[in-house]
Amino acid sequence: MPEASTSSEDFSTLPVSIPPLPSYPVNATHYIYLRRNAPKIATPDDSRSLYLANVPTDSTEAHFRALFSSLVGAGRFESIAFEHDRKSTKISHEPAQAERLARHHKKRKREDEELQHQKEEAAAELPDTWPRELHRSGSSAIIVLADEKSVDLVLRAVNKLKKTKKYPVWGDAVKDGVPAFGAQWLKSHNKLSYPGNDVVQAVVDAYFTVFNRKEEEAQQLAKRLRNEPDEDGFVMVTRGGRSAPARRDEAEEAKQKMLDRQQKKKDETQNFYRFQMREKRKAEQLELLKKFDEDKRKVQAMKEKRGKFRPEA
Amino acid sequence: MGSGTVAKSTQQATSDLAPGASSSSRRHRCRVRTKMESSSPKRRKLDHSNGGPAFETAASSSMGASGSSAFVLETDELLKEVKLDYSKAFPGLDQTLRQFKDAIEGLEKYGPVPIHEASTNWAKTNRIAIPYPDPKPAKNSPYKVSFEKPSHINVVGSYTSQTMIKSQSKFAVDMIVVMPTTLFSEKDYRDYRYFYKRAFFLAYITDALRKKFPDLEFVYRNFNGNSLLPILVARQQAQSSKNQKAGTQGTSFKYEIRVIPNAPEGYFPTAKLSATSSSIRQNDSDESKDTKLPTPFYNSTLKSESQFVSYLKLLHRTSNTCASFKDACILGRIWLQQRGFGGDAADGGFGHFHWAVLMALLLQTGGRKGEPVLSPSLHASQLFKATLQYLSSSNLQKKSVILGPAPKTPDTVRQTGPVLYDSSREINIMHNATTWSAFMLNEHAKLSLAAINDPQVDQFDSLFITKVNQPLQIFDLFVKINVAPNPAQNSSGISDGKSLTMAFAEDVYKTVKKALGERAKLIHVQLPELPTWKVTSSSARAKNESILIGIMCDPAKASQGREFGPLYEQKKDAARFREFWGEVAELWQFPSGEIVESVNWTEYSPLGYFGICQAIIRYILKSRLKLDDDDLEFHGQEFSNIISLSPSDKASFDAAKAAYSVFEKDIRELDDLPLSVRQIASIGSETRYSSLRSPTHNQRQQGATPIDVVLSFEASGKWPENIAAIQRAKIALLLQIGRSLEEAKDGIKTHIGLEDASRETENLAFLDVMYAGGFSFRLRVHSDQEETLLDRQTKDQTLDRHVRTEAAALLSSARWRSTILPLHNQTISTCCTRFPALSSSIRLTKHWFNAHRLGNYFSEPLIELFVLQAFLQPHPFPMPSSTSTGFLRTILLLASYDWREEPMIVDPSDSLSATERLDISTRLEAWRKIDANMNRITLFVATPFDVTGVVYTQGIPKVIATRMTTLARSASKAAKEKGIELDPRTLFQSGLRDYDVVIHLSTKAIRGVLRDDGTRHSHFKNLDESGSSEALPLPEPPVSALLRRLNSAYETPLLFFHGGPEDTVIAALWNPQLHTRGFSVNMPSSFRPTDAGSDTFELNRGAVLAEIARIGGDLIDKIDVKDT
Repeated sequence: MPEASTSSEDFSTLPVSIPPLPSYPVNATHYIYLRRNAPKIATPDDSRSLYLANVPTDSTEAHFRALFSSLVGAGRFESIAFEHDRKSTKISHEPAQAERLARHHKKRKREDEELQHQKEEAAAELPDTWPRELHRSGSSAIIVLADEKSVDLVLRAVNKLKKTKKYPVWGDAVKDGVPAFGAQWLKSHNKLSYPGNDVVQAVVDAYFTVFNRKEEEAQQLAKRLRNEPDEDGFVMVTRGGRSAPARRDEAEEAKQKMLDRQQKKKDETQNFYRFQMREKRKAEQLELLKKFDEDKRKVQAMKEKRGKFRPEA
Repeated sequence: MGSGTVAKSTQQATSDLAPGASSSSRRHRCRVRTKMESSSPKRRKLDHSNGGPAFETAASSSMGASGSSAFVLETDELLKEVKLDYSKAFPGLDQTLRQFKDAIEGLEKYGPVPIHEASTNWAKTNRIAIPYPDPKPAKNSPYKVSFEKPSHINVVGSYTSQTMIKSQSKFAVDMIVVMPTTLFSEKDYRDYRYFYKRAFFLAYITDALRKKFPDLEFVYRNFNGNSLLPILVARQQAQSSKNQKAGTQGTSFKYEIRVIPNAPEGYFPTAKLSATSSSIRQNDSDESKDTKLPTPFYNSTLKSESQFVSYLKLLHRTSNTCASFKDACILGRIWLQQRGFGGDAADGGFGHFHWAVLMALLLQTGGRKGEPVLSPSLHASQLFKATLQYLSSSNLQKKSVILGPAPKTPDTVRQTGPVLYDSSREINIMHNATTWSAFMLNEHAKLSLAAINDPQVDQFDSLFITKVNQPLQIFDLFVKINVAPNPAQNSSGISDGKSLTMAFAEDVYKTVKKALGERAKLIHVQLPELPTWKVTSSSARAKNESILIGIMCDPAKASQGREFGPLYEQKKDAARFREFWGEVAELWQFPSGEIVESVNWTEYSPLGYFGICQAIIRYILKSRLKLDDDDLEFHGQEFSNIISLSPSDKASFDAAKAAYSVFEKDIRELDDLPLSVRQIASIGSETRYSSLRSPTHNQRQQGATPIDVVLSFEASGKWPENIAAIQRAKIALLLQIGRSLEEAKDGIKTHIGLEDASRETENLAFLDVMYAGGFSFRLRVHSDQEETLLDRQTKDQTLDRHVRTEAAALLSSARWRSTILPLHNQTISTCCTRFPALSSSIRLTKHWFNAHRLGNYFSEPLIELFVLQAFLQPHPFPMPSSTSTGFLRTILLLASYDWREEPMIVDPSDSLSATERLDISTRLEAWRKIDANMNRITLFVATPFDVTGVVYTQGIPKVIATRMTTLARSASKAAKEKGIELDPRTLFQSGLRDYDVVIHLSTKAIRGVLRDDGTRHSHFKNLDESGSSEALPLPEPPVSALLRRLNSAYETPLLFFHGGPEDTVIAALWNPQLHTRGFSVNMPSSFRPTDAGSDTFELNRGAVLAEIARIGGDLIDKIDVKDT
């Protein structure tokens, strides 16, 4: 993702004309800002992808495919990733122990195994509840085109629009298969929210197959690591050993106990010596004075607010 | 109750006041004390024989730990604020008064002439009327009237005692003119003779003054509404007062001078004027001399005529001996004024004069053994509180209160109205007051004391600032009764010198009170305003008047269908009961065999307490006072009609609760669950009597909502140690529960439903459990492990900040559902049984929020807390006892709720300690420091189960909070100004003009969404391939689903307003903070270049609205945009 400080000069403006609707019969123009993609962490596809800012909320891949076809002709557009899609992949489904171990021990991965796992994880995904996703207003997307040449072509075509003023029309020539909005959209949502107990059961089962397998693997790994000193000759302490490390809540409990004991000791020696009583009285008096000052301040503050001391009419 | 309490209280008083004197150093403290001792009488030890004030509670509470010194400071500040600078306020008044005096003293002696000659010759030639009281003197009466130079003239009242305050509605300067004894003869106390002579005397003065001061306007008025006592009122004419105002920039006030003729002191024998003696000979008195009716009102009036000077002296003397007397009088005056009490009979007959006299007398006497009740060394606020205490404990409405030594024959004091007898002057101070006003006075004193003794309340505001005289805020039921110009039959009134209206009102009051009995807690009669009349006509013109009865019901007792009277065997009582109720009285036998008299109103039971009370009042006024239905006008039910609340709603709420407990039992009985159930808690508003719509069975009803339930299990190590995995495990549990339930019980259907989660770490699913023909429940599982993990994440410093804030948000929503809502549900449910009017008030208030399209910002639990707070802290009003009072009081609370600076602390069981409360305030201050613009937290509402104060009020933007306050202010203003004329529907009307964008939805399309599930069916059932054409279990209301999506997509640019599922409009405002700006990659919304050349960007409103139109599709009929 590019830095937020980029100026508008890096970006080309792609105006899209929005056709009027009976409920809102106004000709509007939407502006998409695009440029070559240059994320902080480079990926192999960077050279043939474009970064789009401010995509319409109802965008779909089909919309953009149609849009780019009208700009540079068919066959150049490969795929699009919306902001929302890119964010949601982050959450880890690894069991806690596996995660902990992974920090220390890089596991070698076999490719065929990896593929198999991906398939399993896909089966563990819950179905979507909306037939068509809605994007946040002003969000971004990254488009991957066929090749580097296409990127140049697109940018050139966009710049040309400034002169011709012939803006592409949003939603024009979008093929069927884009789910409709409106009542149909809500209807399908209601249906999708209840995929059926069997379907959900299958998904959950698939999920826990994967999860349990990972847990198992982690356990085995831990067992191995327990016996294996690393390069420096240290043996990692993992859960499940003979003398397991204290659990976090146990540690907290112990600490609380200690604090309680200290407090009790402190309480016992209170109000015993004369100086303590004297100091206590002193503190009380100070407290009284403080309270009086506080009250005075409060009343002063009330006075400043007009009308506080005027009986309501 | 000895002097010990006084010593204690005064000592504390010094310790409260001392810090003010000693600047800061403690070394000076001692010296300061001694100085105070010598300078003020506060430290003086009271004499033991003298006894001490008997007001432990009042005194000690005023000195209680919290707020005592603040209260003293606040009253001081108030006194400073309200006091008048007389020379500035009434320029030239002293001079005018002197001119008046000179003019009256300079008058020549006139008469004596016979009455009829005076009224014909003198009055005609001078074209002035003599304001004789009713009945007018007979033509042939042998008495003579005359004028002589008054024995003295004096200015009395609050003008001289300097106790006038700025907020008075009118300023009256009383000038008494004492008539010389030579005018009267000894027997003039009888048969209105004194009053006829007085009337002529007044007319004579009027004539003279009228000629001398042409720039003043002179009118007659009855003194304190007493028709025996006309007085002369001199007013500045409208025009001249305007000039004056312009000249002095509004610092002067409009005043009037009241000229009051007085009887010579001690001329009429008080022994002949006791409450039991009769001074008016009836027309038919020749026949029955023995049955003379006593005329207490007439007698007291006549006695009071000669006591003005005496009371003036008393007050003057007291203000010399007691330094803070005047200030305490002013406080009393404000207190009375805010409650609508005044000296006029219509205002209750207890005004500041009576307050001052009462306090002056209490400084002398009033204790059990005649010892003084008040000490002159008390501070003004303490004097005030102690007097309140006296009023609340003295039961004026029930028994006669005698100040000073008891008279030899107690009977001479007794009379029907309230009695506050000043035995040294042998007069009932409250002779002009009515029974109901004594009740009200007592009730208000009690309420104010309760406020004082409640440390959690802002006592100051409730005592002096809030306007309490708002009938709509107190009474549940109003009856407007037209007063016939000449009541056909009349009881005691006229013979006692009272006005017709007053006598009628007393009859109505007595009848209604007896008929309603315990059903009514308070009954108040509002009399018509007192008219003034021109000096050219002898009395006020009678016009069609009406009196207004306000009734505060006891909701539990008022809805009782059958009224039980005395036992049949108690013949005397039974006969009386029969006599009162007439033909509707009947006998009733209890299963135990007892037979009692009774009246049956059960046929009105379905109408609730309102219907029953209405029926009773109609019947009894018709049968006893011959009032037609046309003369009565009932008000009070209009509020409940707005959302058609009915008494039977309670039954359906109870049904929902019962269904829930069945469901709970069913779950607990499942034995094949992998974890053991710890708690099942309902969190749906249906199970706490507070959902806007009463709960319904799910018989294919459209829009039936399931009842939310949360299930938590015993702590277990079986939960996976990953939040996303926990969410899946919850689904597995739900599926298991669903399977087991369907197996275990017939007629249960379960459906797993997916939440609209955007992250895998959120709660992902719920289980809808539907009972055939019963209610349906939406079950969610709560996991302790999830909470622990989230808690660990929020505290983990090694994680990224956005991960931590995200975890914090998830944690707070998990806690909200699993911990706070169950407790909230329990609290509200308990309170709804404790306060019968709470449930309906909550529902009406929710409707109000929806009507103004604020419902999507204020969560239901929050609104419930608002209403509950109005019930928990009703001060200075009594506890709301009906939907209308409960609702209006909530609105009043919201109108005065200063959410910028004060936390709202709702504490139904008084479980929060003072320090905890302080912590809450500190937390609010901290929030305001971090976030001064209130972008994140606006309202701050804390409860014992949520002391953070922000859980209930998530996501309320400042604009919305301000809008709520504005709406509440205008609503409570309307209620205050219009009184019973208010049409409640106007409070629930909301225009669309204020919004920038108005999205009109298509009702047809919305209904279509709910009708089927979106799969296209064939027309022919048998061609339907899927076979699963059954309707969806519990579809989400389409508008709220749409709104939720729009909200998540357009959170920044638009603020949406929508009011509940029935509303077919979504309105919106553009965010005013989205200014034109330079380019950035992460735009908060859809932006467009402003101009071709410049490098700035602005919100692309057209494109946004076009997007919304596309998203809404056929759901949206039209999008209206406000022209700018």
